[in-house]
Amino acid sequence: MYRYDEFDAAFVAGRTAQFADQVKRRLSGELSEDQFRPLRLMNGLYLQLHAYMLRVAVPYGTLSSRQMRKLAHIARVYDRGYGHFTTRQNIQYNWPKLKDIPVILDELASVEMHAIQTSGNCIRNVTTDQFAGAAADEIIDPRPVAEILRQWSSLHPEFSYLPRKFKIAITGAPQDRAAIRFHDIGLQAAVNGAGEIGWEVWVGGGLGRTPMIAKLINSFVPNEHLLAYLESIMRVYNRYGRRDNKYKARIKILVHEEGLETIKGQVEAEFAEVRGGVLTLPSEEVDRISAYFAPPDFAQQSLTKLDVAYESIIDPAYGRWLDNNINAHSQPGYASVTVSLKPVGGAPGDATDTQMEVVADLAETYSHDELRVTHEQNLVLPHVALADLRTVYDALVAAQLADGNTNTIADMICCPGLDFCALANARSIPIAQEISRKFAEPARQQEIGELKIKISGCINACGHHHVGHIGILGVEKKGGELYQITLGGDATEHASVGKIIGPGFEAENVPDAIEKLVDFYIAQRQGTDETFIQAYRRLGEAPFKEALYGTA
Amino acid sequence: MGLPKLAPAQAAHDKLKALGILALNGMFDEMDALSVLRYAVSDVLPGDLAIVSSFGADSAVLLHMVAQVDPSMPVYFLETGKHFAETLDYVETLKKQLGLINVHAIHPSSDDVKRFDPNGDLWETDPDSCCHIRKTEPLEPVTEQYGGWVTGRKRYQTSERGVLPHFELTSDDRIKVNPLAYFSDADVVEYRQKHSLPEHPLYAKGYKSIGCAPCTSIVAEGEDPRAGRWRGLNKKECGIHYDFSGAIANPMTAAARHTLWKDGAFIADPFKEWVEGTAPSEARYTHVPLREFLANRADYLASQHPLGLMISPGEKIEDVVEDLSRFASIAIKFPAFSDGRGYSTARLLVERFKYAGEIRAVGDVLQDQIPHMRRCGFNALVVTHEPSRQALIENRLPEMALFYQPVGVTEVPLGTRPFLRRVS
Repeated sequence: MYRYDEFDAAFVAGRTAQFADQVKRRLSGELSEDQFRPLRLMNGLYLQLHAYMLRVAVPYGTLSSRQMRKLAHIARVYDRGYGHFTTRQNIQYNWPKLKDIPVILDELASVEMHAIQTSGNCIRNVTTDQFAGAAADEIIDPRPVAEILRQWSSLHPEFSYLPRKFKIAITGAPQDRAAIRFHDIGLQAAVNGAGEIGWEVWVGGGLGRTPMIAKLINSFVPNEHLLAYLESIMRVYNRYGRRDNKYKARIKILVHEEGLETIKGQVEAEFAEVRGGVLTLPSEEVDRISAYFAPPDFAQQSLTKLDVAYESIIDPAYGRWLDNNINAHSQPGYASVTVSLKPVGGAPGDATDTQMEVVADLAETYSHDELRVTHEQNLVLPHVALADLRTVYDALVAAQLADGNTNTIADMICCPGLDFCALANARSIPIAQEISRKFAEPARQQEIGELKIKISGCINACGHHHVGHIGILGVEKKGGELYQITLGGDATEHASVGKIIGPGFEAENVPDAIEKLVDFYIAQRQGTDETFIQAYRRLGEAPFKEALYGTA
Repeated sequence: MGLPKLAPAQAAHDKLKALGILALNGMFDEMDALSVLRYAVSDVLPGDLAIVSSFGADSAVLLHMVAQVDPSMPVYFLETGKHFAETLDYVETLKKQLGLINVHAIHPSSDDVKRFDPNGDLWETDPDSCCHIRKTEPLEPVTEQYGGWVTGRKRYQTSERGVLPHFELTSDDRIKVNPLAYFSDADVVEYRQKHSLPEHPLYAKGYKSIGCAPCTSIVAEGEDPRAGRWRGLNKKECGIHYDFSGAIANPMTAAARHTLWKDGAFIADPFKEWVEGTAPSEARYTHVPLREFLANRADYLASQHPLGLMISPGEKIEDVVEDLSRFASIAIKFPAFSDGRGYSTARLLVERFKYAGEIRAVGDVLQDQIPHMRRCGFNALVVTHEPSRQALIENRLPEMALFYQPVGVTEVPLGTRPFLRRVS
């Protein structure tokens, strides 16, 4: 994986010193909160309901064991013993003290990490497929390009005060696990007629209060012109994106209001000016960065096939784990393991310092020292030999990290909600916890199969409810919390936005409502191979609505 | 030469207005200074013309011409109280040698000096105001008595004078006569040698343009001769050349601190805020809003005054790209620091449109954004936020020495990303 050179290290050290000075000026009163806000946001520091919240960047979701141990250390020493992994593949600490922030940033810098641009109206952490560089279906490992984008976008002087935040996701596989069509810019690896690999560029996707599926603005941009092309999009957005209303300031609104053809014309005109200039990316530079992401030294494995059926008979829990939490690897005899952060009754995405240490140890010993954070708020050991799976599983069991529930109804995305967030209208973690208790029985999860529930505590949609097969949105109504249910959302290459199907529910009635939908699906499905989302697409909205609300 | 004969002052003046300055300026060969002066004295403004002389390094040339045409023409010398002793000696030398019989010294009002410059150091803190009380104010009652003036200004002296004609009509309907408009430094030297005119005693010591002692320094070989005037300040004119009715800094307001940061210091700002309703022909040393410029483009292009342009967020620099060279300064407005459109505007100006003049950031300009502004091409800042001013003065901006991305026209420093070192 990528290692800082002297330049990167000096850059992060310089930035840390700079922010330390800004914190000092805030503490001394030289900076008002108004003046400090954009500066702290540019360094990932939010002021939440109860305390400051620090969001640390995990570039394209990749971590080493040393970095994970440092995250555990920070949770233990400067926070309350846990951290929260986010849908942006980052980690958030909910209880740091302002005076400790410079020290925390120093600690992070010592393991080549930082909190630069994890918030603010700038280009945020670039996210990608959690199985990048490991997945069997991959065309190309997107991480070298993601790293180049990280560098290009870091403290970009022209694009640090955009109309609104800006999120880029990139995937090298045809199966989209990075939700690229719901990002401001999505990049998908593509092969042109000459057999060269480049990028499809999707623009104007997003969730929030106005969910939009991104539109294809260019079907093939080669590596050498990618930075110039992206800078062209950024410049058009910086100049023409709306600034009169923060809820209409994302690029998705610009693309929607002006139309794709207009924006495309502007971008292409700008691209014609900058193309071939200083942003041209030489292949030597791509090669230089790619070398950091060379596959690890995989050993020849004698065990290349798993007998899941057999294992399920011997140990049903292990069998389920193998069934759900293992992803096919490009290297024979290896697999990628999803470490579930979705225990029954837990807060999705939370991990204790001890759990982080355990996962770090496992990564060091069994996964070529690599870890990933997924946008669905789990962790991944990307390169585990099939022969080591049982050992890894047993260690995870001991750390209460072995729930075999990935991609099941228990594998929910959930925002922090009103328990932490200053923006929230409703709690979301308790809803997730109640649903997980309702469907706690593993056999039931297995029977239901793949089902993505995503929960947001307000319209900003951090919990991705728009793209949940079942989405749950907490709203405030007459002083109380009410939960609207949407159906049919999908974050993958079959992107769709879920629809509200009827009146909202009180918190205590949400699990029952979910159960009605689930029961209806099981009764209607054409065999166990037809997933919830497939059944919904076949049957349409009406029968599900009727199942939930009864006949009119 | 068969030049048209004009009637006495008022009529001449009216005729001149009717004729238009352009016609008058077409009447003389560029280098025929003496004819310009003679015609002005005898035909355009007989008995109504005077000259203000600094008795500086090349004043002798014009005064020699005046003595030839009319030795009784009123010659005014601004005795600012800050002159070199050598200059005062030189006044006497020239009077005697050229035979000038009507030389008057103009002194500043002692009330003004007591009030605004009690310690005699105003030149140091606020040169604009110093010029105002020692030159502009005392000169005003004198200028009102005459229909026109002879000046020794030359085109080559400063970039703002690049379009200087022989005759100018000021906004209060007076005429400025610039016989030496087309003279170069070499022409002046040649004329002086040809007529054996005495040299200013300081000229040989390296002073090429001489004003008051505190604000004049020696210029280096090859340097702009006027570089020694108000050295280190963004100031090129003393105020009396703006216009007779020109708005020069009021001493009370101008005595306030400078807000323009340029070349490492807060300096006096020759530009004033644009005032809504100002006629295009009268606008000078002000940043004309882009929409106003476009609405009256022909008028602004016809005007010979130094101008700036103000670009607000949402305005397209592309709309004025043909006229960029018309502007000595382009101000880019940041109504709030969080509005980042100005960064794109600055980069386009510098990188795409190759604008080489002053680009200043105005509005909500704070220390934490200044490093970004500089990288995008801003070379001047108007800063009022006190902590930011202090940070600039003490050179402790939150600046990063290393950059990941190529921005601007200069090469990315060594040691930064290898692939970014290449320049297009």
